[in-house]
Amino acid sequence: MKLRNLRWSVLLAGTAILAACQVSSIVSQRSPADPYKEDPTAVARGGAIFKSVCSGYCHQLTPTTGDALFLFDCTWKHGDTDQEIFQIITTGVPNTRMVGFADNLPEGYQDTWRIVAWLRHNSLCDDP
Amino acid sequence: MKLRGLVFLALAMAVLTEFAESAQDPGEEFELRQAPTHWLATDNKGAGAGPVTQEKLSASGNAKTSWLHYYGDYRGYRHSPIDDITPETVGNLEFAWGMAAGTVGPFETSPIVYDGIMYVTTSYNRLIAVDAGSGEVIWRYDYHNPEDLRICCGPNNRGVAIGGDLVVMGTLDAKLLAFNRLTGALVWETVITKYQRGFSVTGAPLIANGRVFIGLGGGEYGVRGFFDAYDLATGELLWRHYTIPTDGEDGVETWAGESYKIGGSPTWNTGTYDPETETIFWATGNPGPDWNGDNREGDNLYSDSLLAVDPKTGELKWYFQFTPHDIWDYDGNTQIILLDVEVNGEMIKAVGHADRNGYYYLINRVSGAYILAEPYVAEVNWATIDDAGRPVVRPGAIPTGTYSDRVCPGHAGGMNAAYTGAYSPITGLYYVNSIESCEIIEKGMAIFIEGSTYLGGSFQSVDAEAGTGYGNLVAIDAASGKVKWRHQEVNGLLSGVVSTQGGVLFTGTVDGRFLGLDAATGEVAWEKRVGSIVRGQPIVYEHEGASYVAIATGGSNGVEYFTGGFSSLPDNTYLFVFRLNKQ
Repeated sequence: MKLRNLRWSVLLAGTAILAACQVSSIVSQRSPADPYKEDPTAVARGGAIFKSVCSGYCHQLTPTTGDALFLFDCTWKHGDTDQEIFQIITTGVPNTRMVGFADNLPEGYQDTWRIVAWLRHNSLCDDP
Repeated sequence: MKLRGLVFLALAMAVLTEFAESAQDPGEEFELRQAPTHWLATDNKGAGAGPVTQEKLSASGNAKTSWLHYYGDYRGYRHSPIDDITPETVGNLEFAWGMAAGTVGPFETSPIVYDGIMYVTTSYNRLIAVDAGSGEVIWRYDYHNPEDLRICCGPNNRGVAIGGDLVVMGTLDAKLLAFNRLTGALVWETVITKYQRGFSVTGAPLIANGRVFIGLGGGEYGVRGFFDAYDLATGELLWRHYTIPTDGEDGVETWAGESYKIGGSPTWNTGTYDPETETIFWATGNPGPDWNGDNREGDNLYSDSLLAVDPKTGELKWYFQFTPHDIWDYDGNTQIILLDVEVNGEMIKAVGHADRNGYYYLINRVSGAYILAEPYVAEVNWATIDDAGRPVVRPGAIPTGTYSDRVCPGHAGGMNAAYTGAYSPITGLYYVNSIESCEIIEKGMAIFIEGSTYLGGSFQSVDAEAGTGYGNLVAIDAASGKVKWRHQEVNGLLSGVVSTQGGVLFTGTVDGRFLGLDAATGEVAWEKRVGSIVRGQPIVYEHEGASYVAIATGGSNGVEYFTGGFSSLPDNTYLFVFRLNKQ
């Protein structure tokens, strides 16, 4: 192999490794909620559950000043990552009206992730 | 180094050594000093009136110096015999004393006054006994609720009941606590039920003939509702009346499948006792889930009903259902008043009731027979009422697929059982506050999880969002059901009402004003800005020859979607007491 070809080979291999690392990094940063966010049916079901269980006497769909937080303005009190929102829905918030649902929603934690996906889908901020 | 320096160095080393040793000792723990939660009276601050006898409880509607029941008397009138507060003199009311509740959440209490002492409950079950003339605290108890309460609508408490030498309070975790009225000592404590299933007590108990009657919330959690009677002396359960029948009982056929097991029908407001017919009247709330009735086809007895019950046994005498198969959350727990009215030339013992569904009802309180229903809310469009008192529901009020059309009143009322009305025997008018804010019902999924909200949908506050919701204080002719006058406010009204023999009504507004109105005309004769939303139940009493008016204020939670009003007022929970200055 000529030296020039060797250089090109090294350059290509390096680029491939960098690209692989980048993809790996992106994959590792994917939220467990992402597959649900990409599925309109899942988002819709998340919304249906939220409006059936969560919004009637608690989390309103328009801004309010009550104790149950408005969840669409990107101001998060108990953690703003998908995982943290999932955790709050699952375990609740002590000394508030927010009782944890554990895995008791009809389709267990899948429904919890669908709610997270729907909340993100309906966020009013630029970077939900 | 000088001697002083050496001494200082030695002391410093000794202290550091001691600190290091104690810090390294894993066996020693700091004992945090707990904040006190119970302050007892150091001496007897009563005026010597003696125990609250049944005679006193029965005659309470005529007593100026006390306010012994949530509704003032057994008839449910919230009418004071005090006659020197008139439309002409009400302007002489002056601030007498005040007290911070010190808790957040709606301050909805109706104070009890006896023997010169006022008993005030706050949100989260703080109970404070104060001198009714000066506001000086006599004793205080702060209940420690668990951190996982099931309270759909706030940490509310609307007051105590008094009997003998005890004051009794229900708690958000479904207990009853009885205290010595003079010392504040806890006398007995009874667990009513497991709160984790969705139960809570927010209403004031009712005491009659040595029994304590108490209802519970839970209609938004898929409970099977009930109300109880307890022995006043011991706290022992005497009977439990379930508001939904079970297998083999009449009425269970009005619930499809096994929906009766989780059908709600709560009893969260205070009932009424009628010594004449020896009956306890208690109203029940919505079936669950609130906004989806698909799984509970049928009338869903005895939700949204008036129940007449034997106070000794808890057995049902009769019932009347206001809203069969409710899918609008027309929680029928509102106040019950006992009236004698002339119907077709005959005097009838009746019950008056302004239901959350927008209609005022008269029911024969001996037989349970329907007499009349008239709309008291300005716009009622969900149903008309037929000759038997049964609603004829407009099809558009039922969600087709997901949405209904615009339904009036909205789910909060009309009148809401979180506050009281007042009946004046002088005018024959029943005064109730009303929320005028229509909604669209959104039917959703019926998902039951024990201890979680079981709503089956939600609502869109279309009037509230459009800024067209408002409130009325409505004067209803109690015998005919016809509206005599309305006093309009910008926002829906969430405060109770009291009337005086002198012809004045007191109530509060969402925008932080406390009003005195002419009971005959509805004209505002006096008002004071109290700075926070008013959700309390005003009372009137006499102390050492002077007339007083008390009102709990503050706690804006839920105001926007209940009333359509966005409250810009800073929140504060504070009891105001005004005294009539005799000029």
